Amino acid sequence: MRRFFVVLRKELKEMLTWQTLIPILLVVVIYSFLGRVINQEQKKQAAPQALVVVDLDHSQISEMLAGILTKANFKVTTYTEGVVGDIVRKVASEKGAAVLVIPQGFEAGINARKPQTVQTYTILRSFSLLGMQGTFKLDAALTAMNDAIGDMYIKTGAPGLDPAVVKHVISAQSFVTVGTTSAEGDPQALVSVVMQQTMVIPIVLTLVIILASQMIAASIAGEKENKTLETLLSTPVARGALVTAKMMASGIVALISAAAYMVGMKSYMGSLIGTSSGTSTTVGQAIQKLGLILDLRGYVLLGLSVFAGIMVALSIAVILGAFAEDLKSVQILITPLMMMVLLPYLMTMFIDINTTSPVLKWFIYAIPFSHPFLAAQFIFAHNFAMVVAGIVYQFALFLVLATVAARIFSTDRILTMKLNTARRGSGLGGWTLVREGISLRIRRK
Amino acid sequence: MEKALVVENLKKSYGKFEALHGISFEVAPGEIFALIGPNGAGKTTALRIVATILQPTSGTAQVYGMDVQKDAARIREIISYLPEEAGAYKNLTGLGYLTFMAELFASDPATQREYVQRASDITGLGERLRDKIGTYSKGMTRKLLLSRAVMTRPKLAIIDEPTSGLDVVAAIDIRESIRRAAADGMAVLLSSHNMLEIEYLSDRVAVIDKGTIHDVGTPQGLKEKYGKANLEEVFVQVVRQ
Repeated sequence: MRRFFVVLRKELKEMLTWQTLIPILLVVVIYSFLGRVINQEQKKQAAPQALVVVDLDHSQISEMLAGILTKANFKVTTYTEGVVGDIVRKVASEKGAAVLVIPQGFEAGINARKPQTVQTYTILRSFSLLGMQGTFKLDAALTAMNDAIGDMYIKTGAPGLDPAVVKHVISAQSFVTVGTTSAEGDPQALVSVVMQQTMVIPIVLTLVIILASQMIAASIAGEKENKTLETLLSTPVARGALVTAKMMASGIVALISAAAYMVGMKSYMGSLIGTSSGTSTTVGQAIQKLGLILDLRGYVLLGLSVFAGIMVALSIAVILGAFAEDLKSVQILITPLMMMVLLPYLMTMFIDINTTSPVLKWFIYAIPFSHPFLAAQFIFAHNFAMVVAGIVYQFALFLVLATVAARIFSTDRILTMKLNTARRGSGLGGWTLVREGISLRIRRK
Repeated sequence: MEKALVVENLKKSYGKFEALHGISFEVAPGEIFALIGPNGAGKTTALRIVATILQPTSGTAQVYGMDVQKDAARIREIISYLPEEAGAYKNLTGLGYLTFMAELFASDPATQREYVQRASDITGLGERLRDKIGTYSKGMTRKLLLSRAVMTRPKLAIIDEPTSGLDVVAAIDIRESIRRAAADGMAVLLSSHNMLEIEYLSDRVAVIDKGTIHDVGTPQGLKEKYGKANLEEVFVQVVRQ
């Protein structure tokens, strides 16, 4: 046990260098910066938008509409005379965003109950996502005006009728049902809040698995390349302790990096999700009633699933790392593992596991990393049996893989297995996995 | 007296390729025994088997009566192995590396300090031991690794190509260190394709080529037996026969 900690300390010293820490810190800084910038832009967008109204009608209705637009959160400046083209050019030169022209004869047309047209000028300056958002607010202006005129028609045409009733005579009282429980609440708002609880898990898990696997495989390959592995294997450290110390060290470093990423990403993601979807009281109550909040049991199950996923990844990485002869070959060797993580990550995001075809379903279940991604979904759906089954499957797979890894380290396979990237005499390019003459040839296309 | 190392009919195959065809030799305590031969002769394979990191296909190797396969863990407590052109952890300082290795062998802090002190004295690197190994020259790294290999006073040191790629001064320093350690009773099994070095360093040599030991004797004895002036000529003669 003492020797295990000696090796663990050495591994951590080797892995936690400025070369590994600086990129992590940079990511934190960049994401925090991005988050702040996006936040500021959003605040800018939320502020009342300047709108220039060119009122060529000079009527009661056109004046009323200007008032309506002010209520609809527009900062209205009204021009009552001038040539439209000149005004638009002037507004553009003063960095204005939009111009709305109410034509002459507008009121007369409205009173005659004939459809009217207003002209809108959108001044495009930026083609960024947030920059474009402002331009679409003109739709809101049009809706506000239509509502006001519509209300006016109802009031004059059918006195005594409430325009609000006429326009929205049916409204929905929404209920959401999970399992056998129903609760009142808007399904979209509910789903959005529930997703926010667990949306970071797949990102963190993917990061941890990829980072930890790369680190442990690189650590083994680096020791092989430097021949420090041979020295280490001839010392009195138990081989099992050697493998475990390496796995634990890369796990710790990966968790540190994941935590650092999360700090940066929290600000970034927070700005992307927006503050608009804040939990309202009804949604909060519905979530409580439906049990869509992670309780202790939920967290324990989710934690176990994530932990098992990381352990499986580490044991696969140890085996793949054992094939590497040098640091260069690590990247090639680790690619299948990355695919195994990214595939279920994307699939569980876009596919409903409950309704997909049986073949695809079992394919997803067979990939050990699908289970941590699916765990939260199953927990919210109160399908605990599936979560437990996933955890059991992952641990069973981990035991098998860890046994293989330990076997590789306790025999001379750790030194004799290798990935041979050299071209063979046959003239076919490819990679060959060699283990004491037994070759498995992978053709390179 | 118990032999430090007894190798009997040792064979090792990598797939269809047989690297060792059944070699046998013995090393006494305090003796420096060398395997000499060209690249690919099987020297490193033999050393790795004795160092318990490769398993023989057949035959036996016993270190102080312990079998390399059955008693590997116990053997690792009393041997040290220095691979050819080995590196060290570049992010550690020289002192950090010695401390790490001492911690793996020593059971208490006092012994550990004693190991580090002994190694520091042997390296002759002085204050440079506080610098990262990444900044060391090849010679400095080799001195560090050799001092690491002898600091625990192992009963058997296995050293692969002790001076390969080193300049003359560094090579002489390393050879002196090996000699001094052997004078203290440590048995040494080394390999080299530098026959002049072996002639200076070893008590006995085995001439190995293509996985077979062709002859064993003292450098002087072999030179007399084949009527040659140096070991290089002896080697050519033995291999041709």
